[in-house]
Amino acid sequence: MCGINGIFAYHSAAGLPKEAELLATREAMRARGPDGEGAWWSADGRCGFGHRRLTIIDLTEAANQPMVSADGRYVVTFNGEIYNYRELRAELAAAGSRFRTTSDTEILLHLYARDGAAMVHRLRGMYAFAIWDDAQRQLFLARDPYGIKPLYTANDGWTFRFASQVKALLAGGQVSRDPEPAGIVGFHLCGSVPEPFTLYREIRALPAGHTQIIDVAGPHEPKAFASLAATLAEGARHAAPPSELAGRIRAGVLDSVRAHLVADVEVGHFLSAGIDSGAVLGVMRDAGQKRIRAITLGFDEFRNTTDDEVPLATEVAAHYGAEHIVRWVNKREFEEDLPAIFEAMDQPSIDGINTWFVAKAAKEAGLKVALSGLGGDELFAGYPSFADLPRWRRRFRIIAAIPGFGILCGTSIGALAPGLARQQPKALGFLRYAKDWAGLYLLRRGLFLPEELHKILEADVVSEGLRRLKPLKHVRNSVSPDPGSDVGRVCALESANYLRNQLLRDADWAGMAHGVEIRVPLVDHALLQGLSQSMPTIRPGAGKNALAASPVRPLPNDIAARAKTGFGVPVGEWIQSATVQRTSQVPISKGVVSRNWSRTVLHACAA
Amino acid sequence: MKGYSSVNEACCLALVSDAFGGHGGIAQYNRDFLRAVAASARVASITVLPRLGPNKAIAPTKVLQQKPHFRRSVYAIAAIWHTLRLRVDIVFCGHLYMAPLAWLLARLKRAKLIMQMHGIEAWPRPTRLQRAAVEEADLILCVSRYTRGAVLKWADVVPERVVVVPNTVGEAFTPGVGRSMRESLGIDQRKVLLTVARMDAGQRYKGHERVIEAIPELVAQGHDILYMVAGEGDDRPRLEECARKARIADRIRFLGAVPPEKMIDCFRIADLYVMPSTGEGFGIAFIEAMASGTPALGLAVAGANDPLADGELGNVATNDQLAQAISHLLAAPRPDPAALSVRTRARFGGDAFRERVSMALDRAQSAA
Repeated sequence: MCGINGIFAYHSAAGLPKEAELLATREAMRARGPDGEGAWWSADGRCGFGHRRLTIIDLTEAANQPMVSADGRYVVTFNGEIYNYRELRAELAAAGSRFRTTSDTEILLHLYARDGAAMVHRLRGMYAFAIWDDAQRQLFLARDPYGIKPLYTANDGWTFRFASQVKALLAGGQVSRDPEPAGIVGFHLCGSVPEPFTLYREIRALPAGHTQIIDVAGPHEPKAFASLAATLAEGARHAAPPSELAGRIRAGVLDSVRAHLVADVEVGHFLSAGIDSGAVLGVMRDAGQKRIRAITLGFDEFRNTTDDEVPLATEVAAHYGAEHIVRWVNKREFEEDLPAIFEAMDQPSIDGINTWFVAKAAKEAGLKVALSGLGGDELFAGYPSFADLPRWRRRFRIIAAIPGFGILCGTSIGALAPGLARQQPKALGFLRYAKDWAGLYLLRRGLFLPEELHKILEADVVSEGLRRLKPLKHVRNSVSPDPGSDVGRVCALESANYLRNQLLRDADWAGMAHGVEIRVPLVDHALLQGLSQSMPTIRPGAGKNALAASPVRPLPNDIAARAKTGFGVPVGEWIQSATVQRTSQVPISKGVVSRNWSRTVLHACAA
Repeated sequence: MKGYSSVNEACCLALVSDAFGGHGGIAQYNRDFLRAVAASARVASITVLPRLGPNKAIAPTKVLQQKPHFRRSVYAIAAIWHTLRLRVDIVFCGHLYMAPLAWLLARLKRAKLIMQMHGIEAWPRPTRLQRAAVEEADLILCVSRYTRGAVLKWADVVPERVVVVPNTVGEAFTPGVGRSMRESLGIDQRKVLLTVARMDAGQRYKGHERVIEAIPELVAQGHDILYMVAGEGDDRPRLEECARKARIADRIRFLGAVPPEKMIDCFRIADLYVMPSTGEGFGIAFIEAMASGTPALGLAVAGANDPLADGELGNVATNDQLAQAISHLLAAPRPDPAALSVRTRARFGGDAFRERVSMALDRAQSAA
């Protein structure tokens, strides 16, 4: 995991990019890659790459980046990991490729030389990279199917820029800070900025599972090469019998965890008291990892209460013979770290605090890489949304489809039960949005509803932002093509929205702020492909049980039976006291806390 | 616009305010653009429908300019009539105010739609109809980065479809002495500042007044200055009054409308081309001056940043620093005119322009 950036003055009217800008952008990502740095320029000076390196595979300087092919034609700057690089290397070597390093980076050069843009279909991993083809005068960008690794671009009409972070692009000094209303509105709707938007109009994310070509004609429209909904839809067309579910989960998770253990440094683990991280730990052991250091966060406020995850996590660590590190965090440390958290937060997010502290603990333990159970709830139907959304749809879709009925109900609730409207503000919009999957998802995950935005944002920002974002259409795209089953639909909705725009992004900025690579074996496109045929047979609860049973030595029953705890409550209380808009001492709901916190986060990120 | 089946030789319909036989920067851009399109092997013919201009205009091969119709309704009927009777693969819309009509014509023929944005007309949010038409375009061409940014501010379009094709400079603009003009104007050893721009009361952003206000300070610093203003307009009397009030009337020559063949000499004899405009979509006179070997100075505002290449090719200043910047440039050795001309052409010459137009056509034709 690293930080990458580049500048390409593609337009004949553009001047040569400045080295100072390239380096300023690169150095804004110093935390992402504390082990090395590099810069490269094309012979005509019109294209430059920067790289900050976190050494994980091939620790030698020979694997530093940007890396140039032996013939000088191709140059790559790469962030992430290619987990199947050894297989690809063997295949390419058999076909005559000669390698100078043992890195996964070099694979990209050879694979691109052989397959061109189609290379992405061969990659298993989390990645964002750029390859310069000096013969074609062409830049090629790619980002992994789930969007685990970030890649942001900016095009001013003459010059194209890219980087791993929004703030790094801004640090170069040449990218406009004009606000993007769709990003601002999107943050208020979702609690994170939905890609491809950012808070800035000129900066966009290369969408997950997309490639992009930039040549002398400028950037071409990004092209999709993978879609989670399409993968699920394809699987549903060839549905496997329910009897195969447990076996597929066991085999798929083992395969993925094994792939994610590829490293030349120690791979640790983030362990909570949940099923996902516990199962991953068990499978790490099955995959042959002998020494496993597992880190658990403990909160002073929870000591000796039922909310304390430490005892159960300790039990799981002992169950699998892992060295257990418990890192205690308290409110004072949270308050001390808050300025640094906002500084590291690349785009505003209402989450990520837990990840910040667990990554901090990993760094303190000397770990550079850790596996996380992130993604298990999306893949194995762990969220309440897997039960709620289909149920709501069955109950309300017909009545919600009556024109004007939803608006009438919302207005009536607002007038007759103002207390309910304050405590459960989304209740007003329920019937308005319950008519399709996208609306239901917005209700389930939304921070604010679109019609509430005028209370907190300027009218112009709201109207322009909603017009450009088209929130329902945006969400609807994540279930197109139709994944073919209710579980598949919710899986696609959660994975392409909450997981991608919030959880994975939080894992990136919070991990990278400490120079720690967070690997997510349950967020793996190959695993999704393997399970897609069984997705229609997964029932809420059953998927997690199968995951708990997937290690050779299954998770203890008390862990497997434990209800999902969700958001860490002390963090909720801490952020409640840190919000800028706290006006009352009356207890308020978690949703309202999140809303207030979002204002604080946006204020801090925009500062 | 969907449904266009790519053909090797496309037929274009161009809706323009004016082009061949027209005056001003927009007409110049349209001519340059249409010539470049006509030069493409992938284009069979271009039918140009102007609102202004002569009844018969000389146009290059493959280009047929119809007679102008100024009244909107007549123009629209004529455009629809031509569209229905001709094969149309690409509709080029030369001005934002024609966007809804262009969209309709493209829709009628399932043709690709290219929209052209010049400058201030595209900066504020347009009417809903215009915006909707622009958002349906396959390609949006902007003369500058600033205009592109302004369009992206109000248009919900894929950013990759908004492309900068800057103005180009004519082949005639080359360095030279322009001695005869200098003698005929009796300039002697004076330092000549030049502005080429219309003097319209509605376009005071051009900045003539700012230069006039700077001259007393420059004279006080010892610069023996003559300020030449080429162009006409209804704001000229006011500017003349400004000069009188500033007691520098003897240092200003209002040349009126200068014919193109004489304009080159104007640029050649100038020591500095200065146009502190705050509203340029691009500012073609900057590159004409520099292609003629004369350094140029403008404000780092809006589209003017592009011809000046952010100060790499020309010179940029803030409004407060204008007099200081002029003084500095007049005192400094004049840059090599030939080298300046070459550098200007490398960025904005005909070859670069034709290449960009060709790439834009590719982009439009391959749009989904």
